[in-house]
Amino acid sequence: MTGGDSGFFFTFFNLAVAKQYWPNIAAGMLVTVGVGIAVVVTGTVLGLWLAVVRALGRRALALPIVAFADIMRSLPPLVVLIVLYFGLPALGMPLSAFAVTWLSLSLVLAAYAEESIWAGICAVPSGQLEAARSTGMRWWQAMRWVVLPQALRRAVPPLTNRVISITKNTALGSVVALNEILNNAQGASSYAGNPTPLMMAAFAYLVVFLPLVVFSRWIEQRWQRR
Amino acid sequence: MPILEVSGLRKSYGSTEVLRGVDLHVDAGELVCVIGPSGSGKSTMLRCCNLLETPTGGRILANGHEVTSATVDINRLRQDIGMVFQQFNLYPHLTALDNVSLALRKVQRRSKAEAEAMAQTALEQVGLGAKAGSFPAELSGGQQQRVGIARAVALKPHVILFDEPTSALDPELVEDVLNVMRDLRHRGMTMLVVTHEMSFAHAAADRVVFMDGGVVVEQGSAADVFERPRETRTQSFLARYGSRRS
Repeated sequence: MTGGDSGFFFTFFNLAVAKQYWPNIAAGMLVTVGVGIAVVVTGTVLGLWLAVVRALGRRALALPIVAFADIMRSLPPLVVLIVLYFGLPALGMPLSAFAVTWLSLSLVLAAYAEESIWAGICAVPSGQLEAARSTGMRWWQAMRWVVLPQALRRAVPPLTNRVISITKNTALGSVVALNEILNNAQGASSYAGNPTPLMMAAFAYLVVFLPLVVFSRWIEQRWQRR
Repeated sequence: MPILEVSGLRKSYGSTEVLRGVDLHVDAGELVCVIGPSGSGKSTMLRCCNLLETPTGGRILANGHEVTSATVDINRLRQDIGMVFQQFNLYPHLTALDNVSLALRKVQRRSKAEAEAMAQTALEQVGLGAKAGSFPAELSGGQQQRVGIARAVALKPHVILFDEPTSALDPELVEDVLNVMRDLRHRGMTMLVVTHEMSFAHAAADRVVFMDGGVVVEQGSAADVFERPRETRTQSFLARYGSRRS
Protein backbone atom coordinates (compact mmCIF):
# COMPACT_ATOMS: atom_id res chain seq x y z
CA MET A 1 0.00 0.00 0.00
CA THR A 2 1.67 3.15 -1.22
CA GLY A 3 -0.41 5.39 1.07
CA GLY A 4 0.81 3.48 4.14
CA ASP A 5 4.42 3.62 2.94
CA SER A 6 4.39 7.35 2.40
CA GLY A 7 2.78 7.75 5.84
CA PHE A 8 5.66 5.86 7.42
CA PHE A 9 8.23 7.97 5.61
CA PHE A 10 6.27 11.16 6.36
CA THR A 11 6.37 10.29 10.06
CA PHE A 12 9.89 8.98 10.56
CA PHE A 13 11.96 10.11 7.60
CA ASN A 14 10.41 13.43 6.73
CA LEU A 15 12.79 15.23 4.41
CA ALA A 16 11.31 18.67 5.00
CA VAL A 17 11.68 18.27 8.77
CA ALA A 18 15.17 16.83 8.34
CA LYS A 19 16.19 19.78 6.20
CA GLN A 20 14.92 22.27 8.74
CA TYR A 21 16.45 20.68 11.84
CA TRP A 22 19.72 19.11 10.71
CA PRO A 23 21.75 22.11 11.97
CA ASN A 24 20.39 21.41 15.46
CA ILE A 25 21.44 17.78 15.24
CA ALA A 26 24.85 18.75 13.86
CA ALA A 27 25.32 21.24 16.68
CA GLY A 28 24.34 18.48 19.11
CA MET A 29 26.95 16.18 17.57
CA LEU A 30 29.64 18.75 18.22
CA VAL A 31 28.64 18.97 21.88
CA THR A 32 28.44 15.17 22.21
CA VAL A 33 31.87 14.73 20.65
CA GLY A 34 33.29 17.56 22.77
CA VAL A 35 31.96 16.20 26.06
CA GLY A 36 32.88 12.66 25.00
CA ILE A 37 36.51 13.51 24.27
CA ALA A 38 36.79 15.57 27.46
CA VAL A 39 35.36 12.68 29.51
CA VAL A 40 37.67 10.09 27.93
CA VAL A 41 40.76 12.21 28.52
CA THR A 42 40.10 13.30 32.10
CA GLY A 43 38.47 9.99 33.11
CA THR A 44 41.29 7.75 31.93
CA VAL A 45 44.05 10.10 33.12
CA LEU A 46 42.45 10.37 36.57
CA GLY A 47 41.89 6.59 36.65
CA LEU A 48 45.52 5.93 35.68
CA TRP A 49 46.73 8.34 38.32
CA LEU A 50 44.55 6.73 41.02
CA ALA A 51 45.74 3.23 40.07
CA VAL A 52 49.40 4.27 40.26
CA VAL A 53 48.89 6.02 43.63
CA ARG A 54 47.12 2.88 44.88
CA ALA A 55 50.11 0.80 43.72
CA LEU A 56 52.35 2.76 46.11
CA GLY A 57 50.96 0.38 48.73
CA ARG A 58 50.13 2.96 51.40
CA ARG A 59 46.92 2.05 53.21
CA ALA A 60 46.05 5.67 53.92
CA LEU A 61 46.09 6.37 50.17
CA ALA A 62 44.61 3.08 48.97
CA LEU A 63 41.52 3.09 51.19
CA PRO A 64 40.01 6.36 49.90
CA ILE A 65 40.74 5.28 46.33
CA VAL A 66 39.00 1.94 46.79
CA ALA A 67 36.07 3.70 48.47
CA PHE A 68 35.82 6.20 45.61
CA ALA A 69 35.94 3.47 42.96
CA ASP A 70 33.35 1.30 44.70
CA ILE A 71 30.93 4.18 45.32
CA MET A 72 31.22 5.51 41.76
CA ARG A 73 30.70 2.05 40.32
CA SER A 74 27.62 1.48 42.51
CA LEU A 75 25.81 4.71 41.65
CA PRO A 76 23.91 4.96 38.36
CA PRO A 77 25.66 7.66 36.27
CA LEU A 78 22.33 9.48 35.98
CA VAL A 79 22.16 9.78 39.76
CA VAL A 80 25.71 11.17 39.93
CA LEU A 81 24.80 13.69 37.26
CA ILE A 82 21.61 14.86 38.95
CA VAL A 83 23.16 14.98 42.43
CA LEU A 84 26.06 17.12 41.18
CA TYR A 85 23.87 19.35 39.00
CA PHE A 86 21.45 20.16 41.79
CA GLY A 87 23.87 19.70 44.68
CA LEU A 88 26.85 21.83 43.64
CA PRO A 89 24.91 25.12 43.46
CA ALA A 90 23.88 24.52 47.07
CA LEU A 91 27.60 24.37 47.89
CA GLY A 92 28.14 27.66 46.05
CA MET A 93 29.60 25.98 42.95
CA PRO A 94 27.02 26.24 40.21
CA LEU A 95 28.44 24.62 37.08
CA SER A 96 27.20 24.62 33.51
CA ALA A 97 25.40 21.59 32.10
CA PHE A 98 28.52 20.88 30.03
CA ALA A 99 30.81 21.03 33.05
CA VAL A 100 28.56 18.88 35.22
CA THR A 101 28.17 16.21 32.53
CA TRP A 102 31.91 16.27 31.98
CA LEU A 103 32.67 16.05 35.69
CA SER A 104 30.13 13.30 36.52
CA LEU A 105 31.04 11.01 33.65
CA SER A 106 34.77 11.61 34.22
CA LEU A 107 34.41 10.48 37.82
CA VAL A 108 32.48 7.37 36.76
CA LEU A 109 34.99 6.53 34.03
CA ALA A 110 37.91 7.19 36.40
CA ALA A 111 36.48 4.64 38.84
CA TYR A 112 36.26 1.94 36.18
CA ALA A 113 39.60 2.88 34.63
CA GLU A 114 41.28 2.74 38.04
CA GLU A 115 39.91 -0.77 38.62
CA SER A 116 40.99 -2.04 35.17
CA ILE A 117 44.47 -0.54 35.38
CA TRP A 118 44.89 -1.67 38.99
CA ALA A 119 44.00 -5.22 37.93
CA GLY A 120 46.57 -4.89 35.13
CA ILE A 121 49.25 -3.72 37.57
CA CYS A 122 48.49 -6.63 39.92
CA ALA A 123 48.82 -9.10 37.04
CA VAL A 124 52.42 -8.04 36.35
CA PRO A 125 54.71 -10.46 38.25
CA SER A 126 56.57 -8.86 41.17
CA GLY A 127 59.86 -10.00 39.61
CA GLN A 128 59.42 -7.31 36.95
CA LEU A 129 59.53 -4.50 39.48
CA GLU A 130 62.42 -6.23 41.30
CA ALA A 131 64.44 -6.61 38.11
CA ALA A 132 63.93 -2.95 37.25
CA ARG A 133 64.78 -1.78 40.77
CA SER A 134 67.88 -4.02 40.78
CA THR A 135 69.26 -1.97 37.88
CA GLY A 136 68.97 1.21 39.92
CA MET A 137 65.60 2.48 38.69
CA ARG A 138 63.52 4.48 41.12
CA TRP A 139 60.08 3.17 41.97
CA TRP A 140 58.30 5.51 39.57
CA GLN A 141 60.81 4.80 36.79
CA ALA A 142 60.21 1.07 37.16
CA MET A 143 56.47 1.78 37.18
CA ARG A 144 56.67 4.01 34.10
CA TRP A 145 58.96 1.92 31.91
CA VAL A 146 58.43 -1.67 33.05
CA VAL A 147 55.18 -2.23 34.97
CA LEU A 148 52.70 0.19 33.36
CA PRO A 149 53.41 -0.74 29.73
CA GLN A 150 52.57 -4.34 30.61
CA ALA A 151 49.64 -3.42 32.86
CA LEU A 152 48.07 -1.21 30.18
CA ARG A 153 48.32 -3.94 27.57
CA ARG A 154 46.15 -6.04 29.85
CA ALA A 155 43.87 -3.19 30.91
CA VAL A 156 43.13 -1.44 27.62
CA PRO A 157 41.01 -4.10 25.86
CA PRO A 158 38.44 -4.37 28.70
CA LEU A 159 38.69 -0.62 29.20
CA THR A 160 37.71 0.27 25.62
CA ASN A 161 34.23 -1.22 26.15
CA ARG A 162 33.86 0.80 29.33
CA VAL A 163 34.99 3.97 27.57
CA ILE A 164 32.35 3.46 24.88
CA SER A 165 29.50 2.78 27.28
CA ILE A 166 30.38 5.76 29.46
CA THR A 167 30.83 8.22 26.60
CA LYS A 168 27.43 7.12 25.27
CA ASN A 169 26.09 8.27 28.63
CA THR A 170 26.64 11.83 27.40
CA ALA A 171 23.01 11.36 26.30
CA LEU A 172 22.16 11.65 30.00
CA GLY A 173 23.25 15.29 29.70
CA SER A 174 19.85 15.94 28.11
CA VAL A 175 18.40 15.64 31.62
CA VAL A 176 20.33 18.72 32.73
CA ALA A 177 19.58 20.55 29.45
CA LEU A 178 22.98 19.98 27.82
CA ASN A 179 22.52 20.73 24.12
CA GLU A 180 23.87 17.40 22.94
CA ILE A 181 22.39 15.19 20.23
CA LEU A 182 19.46 13.66 22.12
CA ASN A 183 18.36 16.87 23.80
CA ASN A 184 18.40 18.82 20.54
CA ALA A 185 16.55 16.03 18.76
CA GLN A 186 13.84 15.90 21.41
CA GLY A 187 13.41 19.66 21.22
CA ALA A 188 13.29 19.57 17.44
CA SER A 189 10.74 16.78 17.28
CA SER A 190 8.51 18.67 19.73
CA TYR A 191 8.65 21.81 17.61
CA ALA A 192 8.11 19.88 14.40
CA GLY A 193 5.45 17.60 15.86
CA ASN A 194 7.28 14.84 14.04
CA PRO A 195 9.77 12.18 15.30
CA THR A 196 12.11 12.49 12.30
CA PRO A 197 14.76 14.39 14.37
CA LEU A 198 14.93 11.37 16.70
CA MET A 199 15.73 9.16 13.73
CA MET A 200 18.40 11.68 12.77
CA ALA A 201 19.73 11.51 16.33
CA ALA A 202 20.05 7.72 16.09
CA PHE A 203 21.93 8.17 12.83
CA ALA A 204 24.14 10.84 14.39
CA TYR A 205 25.03 8.51 17.28
CA LEU A 206 26.02 5.86 14.77
CA VAL A 207 28.25 8.35 12.96
CA VAL A 208 29.95 9.28 16.23
CA PHE A 209 30.20 5.92 17.98
CA LEU A 210 30.41 3.28 15.26
CA PRO A 211 33.99 4.32 14.34
CA LEU A 212 34.85 4.19 18.05
CA VAL A 213 33.45 0.65 18.32
CA VAL A 214 35.40 -0.44 15.25
CA PHE A 215 38.52 1.24 16.64
CA SER A 216 38.13 -0.58 19.97
CA ARG A 217 37.87 -3.89 18.15
CA TRP A 218 41.12 -3.07 16.36
CA ILE A 219 42.83 -2.12 19.64
CA GLU A 220 41.67 -5.32 21.32
CA GLN A 221 43.12 -7.46 18.57
CA ARG A 222 46.32 -5.49 18.21
CA TRP A 223 47.13 -5.22 21.91
CA GLN A 224 46.47 -8.85 22.67
CA ARG A 225 49.03 -10.06 20.20
CA ARG A 226 52.07 -9.36 22.35
CA MET B 1 90.01 -6.31 49.18
CA PRO B 2 86.38 -7.37 49.66
CA ILE B 3 83.87 -6.03 47.14
CA LEU B 4 81.06 -7.45 49.24
CA GLU B 5 81.22 -7.99 52.97
CA VAL B 6 78.31 -9.47 54.89
CA SER B 7 78.56 -9.63 58.67
CA GLY B 8 76.06 -10.81 61.25
CA LEU B 9 73.23 -10.61 58.71
CA ARG B 10 69.81 -11.36 60.16
CA LYS B 11 66.40 -11.47 58.53
CA SER B 12 63.06 -12.41 60.05
CA TYR B 13 59.58 -12.64 58.61
CA GLY B 14 57.32 -12.16 61.61
CA SER B 15 58.50 -14.71 64.13
CA THR B 16 60.31 -16.84 61.55
CA GLU B 17 64.03 -16.20 61.52
CA VAL B 18 65.39 -16.99 58.06
CA LEU B 19 68.91 -15.64 58.52
CA ARG B 20 70.54 -15.97 61.95
CA GLY B 21 73.82 -14.15 61.56
CA VAL B 22 75.45 -14.76 58.20
CA ASP B 23 79.11 -13.83 57.65
CA LEU B 24 80.76 -14.00 54.27
CA HIS B 25 82.79 -11.87 51.91
CA VAL B 26 83.58 -11.77 48.21
CA ASP B 27 86.94 -10.37 47.11
CA ALA B 28 87.52 -8.54 43.84
CA GLY B 29 87.60 -10.92 40.90
CA GLU B 30 86.37 -13.85 42.95
CA LEU B 31 83.60 -16.28 42.04
CA VAL B 32 81.95 -17.43 45.25
CA CYS B 33 79.26 -20.11 45.12
CA VAL B 34 76.66 -20.48 47.86
CA ILE B 35 75.22 -23.97 48.19
CA GLY B 36 72.81 -25.52 50.64
CA PRO B 37 69.41 -27.15 50.95
CA SER B 38 66.19 -25.36 49.98
CA GLY B 39 65.04 -23.00 52.70
CA SER B 40 68.52 -22.50 54.07
CA GLY B 41 68.30 -18.75 53.42
CA LYS B 42 70.68 -18.56 50.43
CA SER B 43 68.37 -16.53 48.20
CA THR B 44 67.23 -14.30 51.06
CA MET B 45 70.88 -13.55 51.88
CA LEU B 46 71.52 -12.68 48.23
CA ARG B 47 68.44 -10.44 48.02
CA CYS B 48 69.53 -8.57 51.13
CA CYS B 49 72.77 -7.60 49.38
CA ASN B 50 70.97 -5.18 47.04
CA LEU B 51 68.15 -4.48 49.46
CA LEU B 52 65.40 -6.31 47.57
CA GLU B 53 64.86 -7.62 51.10
CA THR B 54 65.44 -5.37 54.10
CA PRO B 55 67.71 -7.03 56.67
CA THR B 56 66.54 -7.01 60.29
CA GLY B 57 70.10 -6.97 61.58
CA GLY B 58 73.77 -7.03 60.70
CA ARG B 59 75.83 -5.13 58.16
CA ILE B 60 76.46 -5.34 54.44
CA LEU B 61 79.28 -3.40 52.83
CA ALA B 62 79.34 -3.12 49.05
CA ASN B 63 82.51 -1.58 47.72
CA GLY B 64 82.92 0.07 51.11
CA HIS B 65 79.42 1.57 51.19
CA GLU B 66 77.04 0.41 53.87
CA VAL B 67 74.01 -0.95 51.99
CA THR B 68 71.68 -0.73 54.97
CA SER B 69 72.63 2.77 56.06
CA ALA B 70 69.71 5.20 56.11
CA THR B 71 71.63 7.78 54.10
CA VAL B 72 72.78 5.52 51.28
CA ASP B 73 71.52 6.24 47.75
CA ILE B 74 70.33 2.72 47.06
CA ASN B 75 69.52 3.48 43.43
CA ARG B 76 73.10 4.61 42.92
CA LEU B 77 74.48 1.58 44.75
CA ARG B 78 72.32 -0.93 42.86
CA GLN B 79 73.97 0.09 39.58
CA ASP B 80 77.18 -1.35 41.05
CA ILE B 81 75.47 -4.57 42.18
CA GLY B 82 74.05 -6.47 39.22
CA MET B 83 71.47 -9.18 39.73
CA VAL B 84 70.46 -12.20 37.68
CA PHE B 85 67.20 -13.92 38.61
CA GLN B 86 66.06 -17.52 38.63
CA GLN B 87 63.03 -16.66 36.49
CA PHE B 88 65.08 -14.30 34.25
CA ASN B 89 62.54 -11.48 34.81
CA LEU B 90 63.14 -10.04 31.36
CA TYR B 91 60.73 -7.28 30.35
CA PRO B 92 58.41 -9.10 27.92
CA HIS B 93 57.29 -5.94 26.12
CA LEU B 94 60.83 -4.95 25.14
CA THR B 95 63.34 -6.46 22.72
CA ALA B 96 66.55 -8.03 24.02
CA LEU B 97 68.39 -4.83 23.13
CA ASP B 98 65.86 -2.63 24.95
CA ASN B 99 65.91 -4.95 27.96
CA VAL B 100 69.64 -4.36 28.25
CA SER B 101 69.69 -0.66 27.34
CA LEU B 102 66.71 0.51 29.44
CA ALA B 103 68.66 1.22 32.64
CA LEU B 104 71.56 2.68 30.66
CA ARG B 105 69.14 5.23 29.23
CA LYS B 106 66.73 5.88 32.09
CA VAL B 107 69.06 5.48 35.08
CA GLN B 108 72.43 6.48 33.69
CA ARG B 109 70.87 9.00 31.29
CA ARG B 110 72.98 7.94 28.33
CA SER B 111 71.92 8.83 24.82
CA LYS B 112 69.90 6.26 22.90
CA ALA B 113 72.79 5.63 20.50
CA GLU B 114 75.37 5.20 23.24
CA ALA B 115 73.10 2.98 25.36
CA GLU B 116 72.25 0.78 22.41
CA ALA B 117 75.90 0.42 21.43
CA MET B 118 76.76 -0.64 25.01
CA ALA B 119 73.79 -3.01 25.08
CA GLN B 120 74.84 -4.55 21.77
CA THR B 121 78.35 -5.11 23.15
CA ALA B 122 76.90 -6.78 26.26
CA LEU B 123 74.67 -9.02 24.12
CA GLU B 124 77.65 -10.01 21.98
CA GLN B 125 79.56 -10.85 25.14
CA VAL B 126 76.89 -13.45 26.03
CA GLY B 127 76.80 -14.70 22.44
CA LEU B 128 73.48 -13.13 21.50
CA GLY B 129 74.50 -10.23 19.27
CA ALA B 130 72.26 -11.58 16.53
CA LYS B 131 69.21 -11.69 18.81
CA ALA B 132 69.15 -7.99 19.72
CA GLY B 133 65.81 -7.45 17.99
CA SER B 134 64.09 -10.51 19.45
CA PHE B 135 61.46 -10.33 22.15
CA PRO B 136 61.92 -12.55 25.22
CA ALA B 137 59.05 -14.83 24.15
CA GLU B 138 60.98 -15.59 20.94
CA LEU B 139 64.06 -16.79 22.86
CA SER B 140 64.80 -20.09 24.57
CA GLY B 141 65.14 -20.14 28.35
CA GLY B 142 68.92 -20.29 28.08
CA GLN B 143 68.97 -17.33 25.72
CA GLN B 144 66.62 -15.38 27.98
CA GLN B 145 68.90 -15.95 30.93
CA ARG B 146 71.91 -14.81 28.90
CA VAL B 147 70.02 -11.61 28.08
CA GLY B 148 69.41 -11.33 31.83
CA ILE B 149 73.16 -11.60 32.38
CA ALA B 150 73.82 -9.02 29.65
CA ARG B 151 71.36 -6.67 31.37
CA ALA B 152 73.42 -6.91 34.56
CA VAL B 153 76.79 -6.77 32.80
CA ALA B 154 75.94 -3.71 30.69
CA LEU B 155 75.85 -1.47 33.77
CA LYS B 156 79.48 -2.47 34.49
CA PRO B 157 78.79 -3.41 38.12
CA HIS B 158 81.47 -4.20 40.70
CA VAL B 159 79.75 -7.47 41.54
CA ILE B 160 76.92 -9.56 40.10
CA LEU B 161 74.54 -11.57 42.28
CA PHE B 162 73.19 -14.74 40.67
CA ASP B 163 70.05 -16.21 42.25
CA GLU B 164 69.88 -19.84 41.06
CA PRO B 165 70.46 -18.75 37.46
CA THR B 166 70.03 -22.21 35.94
CA SER B 167 67.30 -23.69 38.16
CA ALA B 168 64.47 -22.79 35.78
CA LEU B 169 66.25 -24.13 32.69
CA ASP B 170 65.90 -27.35 30.77
CA PRO B 171 69.01 -29.50 31.44
CA GLU B 172 70.38 -29.14 27.90
CA LEU B 173 70.33 -25.32 28.19
CA VAL B 174 72.13 -25.12 31.54
CA GLU B 175 75.60 -25.44 30.06
CA ASP B 176 75.15 -22.39 27.76
CA VAL B 177 74.47 -20.18 30.75
CA LEU B 178 77.26 -21.68 32.85
CA ASN B 179 79.70 -21.10 29.99
CA VAL B 180 78.77 -17.42 29.91
CA MET B 181 79.40 -17.28 33.66
CA ARG B 182 82.79 -19.01 33.29
CA ASP B 183 83.66 -16.49 30.59
CA LEU B 184 82.68 -13.59 32.87
CA ARG B 185 84.88 -15.01 35.57
CA HIS B 186 87.84 -15.10 33.18
CA ARG B 187 87.19 -11.45 32.37
CA GLY B 188 87.63 -10.73 36.08
CA MET B 189 84.00 -10.13 37.07
CA THR B 190 83.28 -10.54 40.78
CA MET B 191 80.36 -12.91 41.27
CA LEU B 192 78.28 -14.30 44.14
CA VAL B 193 76.30 -17.26 42.88
CA VAL B 194 73.55 -19.17 44.67
CA THR B 195 73.37 -22.47 42.83
CA HIS B 196 72.44 -26.13 42.87
CA GLU B 197 74.95 -26.90 40.13
CA MET B 198 77.48 -28.75 42.25
CA SER B 199 79.83 -29.65 39.42
CA PHE B 200 79.95 -25.97 38.35
CA ALA B 201 80.59 -24.85 41.92
CA HIS B 202 83.26 -27.50 42.33
CA ALA B 203 85.06 -26.65 39.09
CA ALA B 204 84.59 -22.90 38.69
CA ALA B 205 84.28 -21.39 42.18
CA ASP B 206 87.21 -19.79 43.96
CA ARG B 207 85.42 -20.35 47.21
CA VAL B 208 82.30 -22.24 48.25
CA VAL B 209 79.96 -21.29 51.09
CA PHE B 210 77.66 -23.94 52.53
CA MET B 211 74.57 -22.54 54.24
CA ASP B 212 72.00 -24.40 56.29
CA GLY B 213 69.36 -23.19 58.73
CA GLY B 214 70.10 -19.51 58.12
CA VAL B 215 73.80 -19.64 58.96
CA VAL B 216 77.04 -20.34 57.13
CA VAL B 217 78.02 -23.83 58.24
CA GLU B 218 81.28 -24.06 56.37
CA GLN B 219 83.24 -22.14 53.77
CA GLY B 220 86.53 -22.58 52.01
CA SER B 221 88.10 -23.39 48.68
CA ALA B 222 85.99 -25.51 46.35
CA ALA B 223 88.40 -28.40 46.83
CA ASP B 224 88.20 -28.17 50.63
CA VAL B 225 84.42 -27.98 50.83
CA PHE B 226 83.67 -30.62 48.21
CA GLU B 227 86.52 -33.06 48.83
CA ARG B 228 87.32 -32.58 52.51
CA PRO B 229 84.16 -31.21 54.18
CA ARG B 230 84.74 -30.78 57.92
CA GLU B 231 81.15 -30.45 59.12
CA THR B 232 78.79 -33.41 59.24
CA ARG B 233 75.92 -31.30 57.84
CA THR B 234 78.05 -30.46 54.80
CA GLN B 235 79.01 -34.10 54.39
CA SER B 236 75.43 -35.36 54.50
CA PHE B 237 74.23 -32.60 52.15
CA LEU B 238 76.95 -33.39 49.61
CA ALA B 239 76.30 -37.13 49.94
CA ARG B 240 72.60 -36.60 49.18
CA TYR B 241 73.27 -34.18 46.33
CA GLY B 242 76.04 -36.25 44.83
CA SER B 243 73.87 -39.34 44.62
CA ARG B 244 70.89 -37.41 43.24
CA ARG B 245 72.80 -35.51 40.59
CA SER B 246 75.12 -38.10 39.10
